[in-house]
Amino acid sequence: MMGNIGLEHFLIFSGTLFCIGLFGALAKRNVIAILMGLEIMLNSVNINLVAFSRYATTGDLTGQVFAIFVVAVAAAEVAVGLALIVAIYRDRMSVNVEDFDWLKW
Amino acid sequence: MVNFALENAWLIPFLPFMAFVLIALVFKPLPKVSAFVAITCMLTSFVLAIQIGIGVFLDAERFIEEPLKHTFTWFSMSGLTIEMGTQIDPTSAMMLFVVTLVASLVQIYSLGYMHGDVGFSRFFAYLSLFAMSMLGLVIAPNLLQMFVFWELVGLCSYLLIGFWFFKYSAREAAKKAFITTRTGDFGLLLGLLLLQINFGTLDLVKLGEMIPNFTQYGLTASGLTVIAIILFLGPIGKSGQFPLHVWLPDAMEGPTPVSALIHAATMVVAGVYLVGRSLILFQTVPAAMTFVACIGAFTALFAATIAVTQVEMKKILAYSTVSQLGYMMLALGCGSLTASMFHLMTHAFFKALMFLGAGCVLHGMHNELNIWKYGGLKKYMPVTYWTFLIGCLAIAGIPPFAGFWSKDEILLVTYNMFAHGHQPIYLVLFIMAVITAGLTAFYMFRMFFICFHGELRDEHAHPHEAPFSMLIALFVLAALSIVGGLVGMPWLEHPFGYYVRLGHFEHEAPNYFIMFGSVIVACIGIFTAITIYLKKSISHEALAEKYKGIYTLLYNKYYIDEIYLWLIHNVLDGLGRFLWWVDITIVDGIVDGVGKSTQGLGSILRRAQTGKLQHYALVLFAGVVILVVIMAMTGTSSASSMLGGVR
Amino acid sequence: MDANYSLMAIEIATALLAIGVLIIGLLVPKEQRYGLGYLVTIGLTGIFFLTFAFYGTNTKLFGGMYIVDDFSIFFKQIFLAAGILVTLAATLYVKKIGANYGEFFVMMVFATLGMMVLSSAGDFITLYLGLETMTITFYILAGFKKGDSKSAEAGVKYLILGAMSSAVLLYGLSLIYGMTGTVIVQDVAALITAGGGMQPALIVGLVFLVAGFGFKISAVPFQMWSPDVYEGAPTPVTAFLAVGSKAAAFAALIRFFLIAFPDYQAEWKVLFAALAALTIIVGNLVAIPQTNIKRMLAYSSIAQAGYIMTGVVAADAAGIKGVAFYLMLYVFATVGAFTVVMNFSSNTGSDEIKDYAGLAQRSPLMAAVLLVCLLSMAGIPPLAGFAGKIFLFSSIVSQGYLWLVIVGLVMSMASVYYYLSVAKVMYMADPTDNTPIVVPVGAKATLLLTMGITVFLGVYPEPLSVLATIASKALFMIN
Repeated sequence: MMGNIGLEHFLIFSGTLFCIGLFGALAKRNVIAILMGLEIMLNSVNINLVAFSRYATTGDLTGQVFAIFVVAVAAAEVAVGLALIVAIYRDRMSVNVEDFDWLKW
Repeated sequence: MVNFALENAWLIPFLPFMAFVLIALVFKPLPKVSAFVAITCMLTSFVLAIQIGIGVFLDAERFIEEPLKHTFTWFSMSGLTIEMGTQIDPTSAMMLFVVTLVASLVQIYSLGYMHGDVGFSRFFAYLSLFAMSMLGLVIAPNLLQMFVFWELVGLCSYLLIGFWFFKYSAREAAKKAFITTRTGDFGLLLGLLLLQINFGTLDLVKLGEMIPNFTQYGLTASGLTVIAIILFLGPIGKSGQFPLHVWLPDAMEGPTPVSALIHAATMVVAGVYLVGRSLILFQTVPAAMTFVACIGAFTALFAATIAVTQVEMKKILAYSTVSQLGYMMLALGCGSLTASMFHLMTHAFFKALMFLGAGCVLHGMHNELNIWKYGGLKKYMPVTYWTFLIGCLAIAGIPPFAGFWSKDEILLVTYNMFAHGHQPIYLVLFIMAVITAGLTAFYMFRMFFICFHGELRDEHAHPHEAPFSMLIALFVLAALSIVGGLVGMPWLEHPFGYYVRLGHFEHEAPNYFIMFGSVIVACIGIFTAITIYLKKSISHEALAEKYKGIYTLLYNKYYIDEIYLWLIHNVLDGLGRFLWWVDITIVDGIVDGVGKSTQGLGSILRRAQTGKLQHYALVLFAGVVILVVIMAMTGTSSASSMLGGVR
Repeated sequence: MDANYSLMAIEIATALLAIGVLIIGLLVPKEQRYGLGYLVTIGLTGIFFLTFAFYGTNTKLFGGMYIVDDFSIFFKQIFLAAGILVTLAATLYVKKIGANYGEFFVMMVFATLGMMVLSSAGDFITLYLGLETMTITFYILAGFKKGDSKSAEAGVKYLILGAMSSAVLLYGLSLIYGMTGTVIVQDVAALITAGGGMQPALIVGLVFLVAGFGFKISAVPFQMWSPDVYEGAPTPVTAFLAVGSKAAAFAALIRFFLIAFPDYQAEWKVLFAALAALTIIVGNLVAIPQTNIKRMLAYSSIAQAGYIMTGVVAADAAGIKGVAFYLMLYVFATVGAFTVVMNFSSNTGSDEIKDYAGLAQRSPLMAAVLLVCLLSMAGIPPLAGFAGKIFLFSSIVSQGYLWLVIVGLVMSMASVYYYLSVAKVMYMADPTDNTPIVVPVGAKATLLLTMGITVFLGVYPEPLSVLATIASKALFMIN
């Protein structure tokens, strides 16, 4: 059964995942949830990279290496993100993005 | 030292500029230090200019054949390279000497003249900037650099004429000078653009090679004539030629040292110098050259007649400057760079002398302007008297004073254009020039006798001699007014014309007919003045009464100012009122509408910035989706055909 | 694989400077850390002069992953110039923020390092790492003012939107990698041709790249974050963000599009032309009604990005030269303007334009610098911005984009309106408060430098023009 699964499936999967993450990032009100949506988007990229590395190239591991870098950088991004969310939570006593609109126009 | 100066000629304009910056930024609160800085820098430039002069003099052949150029690229893009730099040849070396000399003397003179003025530091800063602009113009290797500094000179003259900005008349005169010369500058800029478009360069040396072969560049003779005449509009304005001379007498509102600087060595001769630098352009098309000569001769005579009736010392000197500039233009119109530059140099000496002398008189008479209030000043200010006499003899053309040699040269070239060039019109111009010479001697000595002889007419005045710092300049300039012309004596093996020239040097035999003739004409002028104003054998009042019409006409300067005012009031203002109406109702309506709608549009657009970060994200992704759709669906070809671009 | 690490001396020195300052900051007691700002300035200045030694290197490292050419050196000089001027100006401002004095400057240096890597990136991974090094430090810097509501909000907004744009960029990169099988930029072009030209997935990838870079250079419609973040972030960070981040993104963008997609120029040039026009129009229009000067400068910097994009549209040596030249002079104009803003707000606590009334009397230097910088951005001769705009616009006129030039010129004129309204307030209005504003030494040096260079480059643009030409030629050489 595994043999039937090809590049297209991975791409559709990753595309779907990207859209799910995007939807989360756009629709959720909790800023932590938005951050999670972003992580999902980044992971969809990782799936893309690994899938391409497996199917579209001949034994080239660059895509997989790239994915590992993305994972590492994403972790750093989340760390900074959480710190900033803590900072703004102390200020607004809220993690709802609707409240983050003092800077506008 | 000589080599250093030749290699680093850029220092000459740079030093005064540095003085300007230093005074403006640092020394402004300290008047004495400011003056010291300015004068030190100016004198250093003067020393460098002398070194350059020596270098050029010693190795004249080389510099005449090929000017020493140092340039660097100022601005370059595909198809256009603009250079800045220095060009040393005998002409520019002579000008550097004259400008730095007069500027240095004027600055030293100002120490006494401007003493105690609230704007003392500012005055020296402006003088330095003025000197810088003029020196940058003189040393320019191309017409564009000349134009840049030309405009700077205009700006500085505006600042200096309006130096006493609290005086209404000074502000008005500054504005008049700026606007009038700007009118001419428009033509100059247009001419430069046309040259650049047709020849692809504004470099003096390259233009000198290209212009004689203008047909290769797709130009006709009439086309080139038009370019030359348009270009000439700039010098007409700057050098106070008819009909744009009106600003020059009003420019006397500035402090007197400024008048000396503007009229003797800097601003007004810029126009002559520019025509001299591009003389090859005028020589190539004879019609343009005749035009220049006619304007010059007419201005010379025209201004001289006005000067006869004026009653203010500085006004008389101003009209005499206009007249002498006309001489220089006439020389250029005869194709003689030598004669015009020679007269420029001697004129710088004696005119600066007379202006500074006038400054001493004003200083001693507490700014009383009317010469009829003076009289008998010989007793009170002997130094000024004797130096002024030298200046008058020089401008009147009495040998061996400087003006004689240069004026003779101009008369000679004009006559030669008629005699050897077989152009009858030049005979007319020659006669005009001779009459001007007589008139010049007359009005100069008229002023001289009224001011210095007879009895003091104003009992309340207490005339006194000027301080020593002001007299130094008079001594130096008087000495130069005596001997300065000897370098151009036709009996020399290498006279002035050997160094400063265009084309080949020809040793011309002195024309004794013209030489004696001009002296006789000058003497007639002087004796007339003596008869009327010294011996008073003929009453000048009776004369004025007898020829009342002419006198009034001259006294009112041919009503040129009135005509301009009338034109401005009626034609321009009428046109202006109409345009104003168009502007207010139609243009403003449109502009206001556009302004309002842009502001409104901006206000609406800013509302899109809601502050909600998810809206931002949405816009971002909407943008991505729209771009993808555009790229994928419509294809790129239609998009690029819509938006242009070369595929 | 070539691993001549001496060619990376600039980056290594920058990293060492950051780590060194971080360690010294831990070692010395709190009240003695205030010298660290100047230490960073001196260090960056040293590195700046070091960069001149690398002109003419033009080498690829690690099989094309890292490129040391004149183009990247020129951009590194832009980053360093910005870094030097900002750190010089910021010492007192950061001191007023309070805690974590040393870390602020460490972060600035790390951000500079990220920009350097970005400008030298020869493959997708290096690009991504450089981009994130720069961006993550900017997240921190934007939210650096602890306890300040606006700063915290700016940090969060920048983080969320920045991460989103990174995700989009990465998705685009992954698609291009999948379609071509390589991550080396220089190999992409040939492999696209071998793979049968432009496929739909590649078009999507290309657009995603445009969006990702467009976000960093704040091109409409990806610009929404920048006014908010610019307003909220500490002013030195805003200045550095506005010039450094933008310049770095331009460097990467130019290298990517010109080297990886040269055969599809027609496609992306149209895209950029449209975006440039939109950016110029929107940026200038929305700047007009602004009342906060930082926000006004933010919109003006959006408009400036639009002008710079016109050089990318030209996509030839002349255009790239225009971009490089303009970015360098943009550094001076922007940093000068923001230094005035920084100093004004730390003296008066206000960023409102109306509070600038009578600044010319309270501090002639600040008013003069702000005027010169704003007029340079408006492109008034004889200031540097004028020369820059000539280079940019002349490069696209010859390519047939006259309409874009007309848009640029018309909107430049509109921009004079809001720039001059600031000047009007500064010079014409009377101050409500007459106390003179003190300019600290560092900020004064920055102000004089920025004004002097802006005027100098306007009067005599040739030296920088020559350097920019060298840089732009190198980009096309190293294929």
